[in-house]
Amino acid sequence: MKRRLTPLAARALFSLALAGCATTGGGGNVPVAAPQQIVDPAPRPGAPLVLIAMPDSSEFLDVRRTLVAEIRKNFNVSTYVVGPSTTAKDFGQELAKVAPTCVVVMNNATVNLLREVQHARAGAGPFPPTVVVMSSFLEELRPTLTNATGIAYEVPGVTAFINLRSISRAPLKRVGVVYRPPFRGFIERQERLAAREQIELVKTELPKDFGAGELRAALQSLLVDKHVDALWMLNDNGLIRSREFLDQTWRAALRDTRVPLIVGVPNLIDAQSPLGSIAVVPDHEALGLQAANLIFDLSSEGWDAQAHDVELPLSVKTVVDVKQLSATVGLKDDALRHIDKAVE
Amino acid sequence: MQLDTKSSILEKTLQARLPGLTVTVFGRFRDFQDAFASKPPAAVLAVSPLLEQEHQRVTIQGTRGGKDWEPYVLVSVGPMKSVDGKTVGIVDLFGHDGTQAFAASLLKTNDVKIKRVAKIEDLLPLIEFSAADAILIPQAGVKRLTERTRLPLTVRELPNGRFGLPAVGVVDPAARDAVVRLIEGLDAQTRGLIGVEGWELK
Repeated sequence: MKRRLTPLAARALFSLALAGCATTGGGGNVPVAAPQQIVDPAPRPGAPLVLIAMPDSSEFLDVRRTLVAEIRKNFNVSTYVVGPSTTAKDFGQELAKVAPTCVVVMNNATVNLLREVQHARAGAGPFPPTVVVMSSFLEELRPTLTNATGIAYEVPGVTAFINLRSISRAPLKRVGVVYRPPFRGFIERQERLAAREQIELVKTELPKDFGAGELRAALQSLLVDKHVDALWMLNDNGLIRSREFLDQTWRAALRDTRVPLIVGVPNLIDAQSPLGSIAVVPDHEALGLQAANLIFDLSSEGWDAQAHDVELPLSVKTVVDVKQLSATVGLKDDALRHIDKAVE
Repeated sequence: MQLDTKSSILEKTLQARLPGLTVTVFGRFRDFQDAFASKPPAAVLAVSPLLEQEHQRVTIQGTRGGKDWEPYVLVSVGPMKSVDGKTVGIVDLFGHDGTQAFAASLLKTNDVKIKRVAKIEDLLPLIEFSAADAILIPQAGVKRLTERTRLPLTVRELPNGRFGLPAVGVVDPAARDAVVRLIEGLDAQTRGLIGVEGWELK
């Protein structure tokens, strides 16, 4: 008869792939997201209520699961599923009905609904503090919201660079990046963070409108003239567009070079059709813990969300094209121990 | 446990080295706690203070360098005179209240704000982003930390910052002999993965 031995290990959550994690460590297995039901914990009399407004797809459920597990002993939780047909009026009615002490809002569409509700209720008394997660460019969104803070969704470049540097045999001192003008502020913040780790962000701003030829030339300049050690591709649809566009730009520029490409989405790591060398993506379950900590902080600070800076995400997962990275910069002997998913 | 290995690698390795046992690695304290409450396993491998918190007796204690504990250290970017009023990061070993109490006992003050993270590697971003003034880690974790970062780190040993090494608590008495035999039979490489050099039967 088989017995279960249960180790608590590594403070990492990648073995929890059964619950829908995006990656698993080293084994190359593709996790299958198990269906998750939304069941709020039984209410506790007198406990403050946290309303979680979110879509019901798997990555949001992963965040919610951890968040609820962390706060359920101290707070009541009510989950409001936001779908494509949800209107600001619907959301406003839910807020009025449950009267939460704090609201957690996931994704940009839900943030947009929240903004509409806040505008409609402007002058009608204070609005509950809001924690925003899984929304793009929160720093830029925040001024449009009332009493809101949250956790940025974009993985900081420096986090990705350190993850590459820690498994790579080759030095990583200069990372090239191309960006569109709206990303200038974001890039400047990334530059300062990278400098703390002695990594220079070598940046090229593209014109507002550009074609494949201009992007390819900018990438080639970074590779050939500026001798960057790696390229970093931002999660910007303007830089990715389509498979054909990727072929004409990123693939064309990187062909015949030994420079790794850092990406922010796992589907650009494909051993059959190589492009990205390492993807560094948010760890959604750990994001739930960070959101829970933020709620505890706000609770102890009088729920003044506006006074709380937007936090950067702390936890990531890595997906690596092992063959490509071995052939370009080489992998350290213990590299596989530090990779969440090795694609071979 | 706070190990320098992804939990999936650890699970795969232990599963291969412990035939006859089904190994489940939990990456987060809450998941372990929920699973332990709903379906108790035959045995638990965890840092001994966690076994103590869960009211589990230690059956086999891991040792390293002849000791069954390791020191905790405070790591900051540059020197830090006092932790009073500061924010300190730590891996979430015991949940919200338990981890807060643990950190306060290590630092010998309650005048400190604690930030919990899920994994040991998540502590570096805390000081990198200036989201915490310092972090608490086992001394064995300093090497990996300094390999990962170029930040000018200052490491300060904490007096009496002793923390129990991994140990095994047998939950199901019928499984005791099999568990002990298999754990004691683990090779040096696997023991190293767990962060121990040897075992001591209690």
